[in-house]
Amino acid sequence: MKPSTLTAFVLTLKRDLLIAFKRKNDIVNPFMFFVIVVSLFPLAISPEPARLAEISSGVIWIAVLLSAMLSMDSLFRADFEDGSLEMLLLSPHPLFFLVLAKNIAHWLVSGLPVVVASPLLGYMLKLPADAYATLMLTLLIGTPTLSLIGSIAVALTVGLGSRGLILAVITLPFSVPVLIFGTLAVQASAGGLPAGGYLALMLALLAGSLSLAPLTSAAALRISVS
Amino acid sequence: MNLTDGIQFDSFAAFIDMGGYAFNVWAVYALFALFVTVNLVAPLRQRKALLRDLRRRQTLNQRSAESTAGVAVDEANHKAERVET
Amino acid sequence: MWLWFAKLGSPKWFYELSSKWLPWLVGAMAITLAVATVWALLYLPPDYQQGFTSRILIVHVAVAGTSLAFFPLMAVAGTITLVWKMKLADMVAKNAAALGAWFSFITLATGSIWGSVSWGTWWEWSDSRLVSMLFQFFLLLGVVSLRSALEDSDKAAKACALLSIVGCINVVVIKYSVEWWNTLHQPASPVSIESGSANGPEFWIATALMILGVYLFMSVSLILSTRNEILRRERRALWVQELLHESD
Repeated sequence: MKPSTLTAFVLTLKRDLLIAFKRKNDIVNPFMFFVIVVSLFPLAISPEPARLAEISSGVIWIAVLLSAMLSMDSLFRADFEDGSLEMLLLSPHPLFFLVLAKNIAHWLVSGLPVVVASPLLGYMLKLPADAYATLMLTLLIGTPTLSLIGSIAVALTVGLGSRGLILAVITLPFSVPVLIFGTLAVQASAGGLPAGGYLALMLALLAGSLSLAPLTSAAALRISVS
Repeated sequence: MNLTDGIQFDSFAAFIDMGGYAFNVWAVYALFALFVTVNLVAPLRQRKALLRDLRRRQTLNQRSAESTAGVAVDEANHKAERVET
Repeated sequence: MWLWFAKLGSPKWFYELSSKWLPWLVGAMAITLAVATVWALLYLPPDYQQGFTSRILIVHVAVAGTSLAFFPLMAVAGTITLVWKMKLADMVAKNAAALGAWFSFITLATGSIWGSVSWGTWWEWSDSRLVSMLFQFFLLLGVVSLRSALEDSDKAAKACALLSIVGCINVVVIKYSVEWWNTLHQPASPVSIESGSANGPEFWIATALMILGVYLFMSVSLILSTRNEILRRERRALWVQELLHESD
């Protein structure tokens, strides 16, 4: 008997999480990268609290963007190399849900730690305390969006040997809207203004990419793995 | 109608000077001319090289078809193809 | 209708038709560009605010306007590639990406030369058009580099088709978000190319002529490189082999 699509979804999610926890590098490295990049900025710019406060939201968001970019590389790679990606493509279930499951698993291990740690780094960069909640919220909405957008480019380049740079070149321009609204929201909160409008726009971006990106990634995977 | 009537400049020097913005105006038009020329000449040159290459291959193919020991030529031909791609 | 569509997709048909059309297109392009350039440089009255620098705008606006056509063009070609698997569409799309990157770059360059006079700076983040053009440039370069990274030409065709469609949507989203971002970061001095709208009708007629010329140039350049691509990919076809026997 053919298991239901929901079962397949849950199984894919579980499997990917299990693999990620077995290979802790995939969790630890993007996170460490994020923390280190943020820590370098005060050294490069100035330890002066006022100046740091001004740039903090931008620095954190750029660091998130870069660490998401680096971690994306592992989304389909191992599966492509050991052939399980081809099994995924042959499965009778809609690829949309399987790709979505992989995306969610990936976000849980690479995006969520960054979101959780962000207030600490916000404090280190002297971000006004009013903005912590908004920072976390924007990252909570923004990092899955980045993962979803990034998965398209990863799927397109999955067969390539060295693709770290081409992945970044393709994906970074796509992340402009997320970056703009994310930083605007944090800056608004830091300045005591309401940020609800930006959060709504970010939710719209998330909803859009949640419905379109797995579909596009699935199509891209079918192109790349054939 | 006299063609020189509408010209906005009294002298050639004034034309070159462009009301003091000689550098900006001429730089843009030079860039534009370069852009147009490059993007027309490049495909034409490519075409020439391509046709030459295809003709060479064609004669090689014909010769290899005629000769009894065509294998060597064929191999050379394949090699040329691999180098190109 | 479908017969016509299938015929249009045949590289041979396109090659033969474009052979007939090219001389006319090249002639029209040469005349339009020459007339527009001479008119713009010699006859156009100086703008009462910008003086002779409005001559820059004619080229800038024409190239910028044309460069906006590339992503829609590539998205349409990409859809045709993915849905109908028409080879010709991909041959056009392949060359369009590189040419589009050129167009975006020239738009940025002429824009900043104009800005150096009118804004007193070569680069201005507070002009959202400049910023979104910069990202369009990046996106087009991304398509070009994806094409060159993928070795299998069939895979590259489909992958670039998909990326072009997604990119086309993204260009629009980026444009609106950059505009939004811009209105919130109050520009230091309200500067905009719109001030050019104070120009007289003559300016706009000259610009329209230049836009027509640049569009013709785009078509000619695309057709030339598409013809090369046809020869390269169809080199084993009988009609290409026969064509080689004829003179250039």
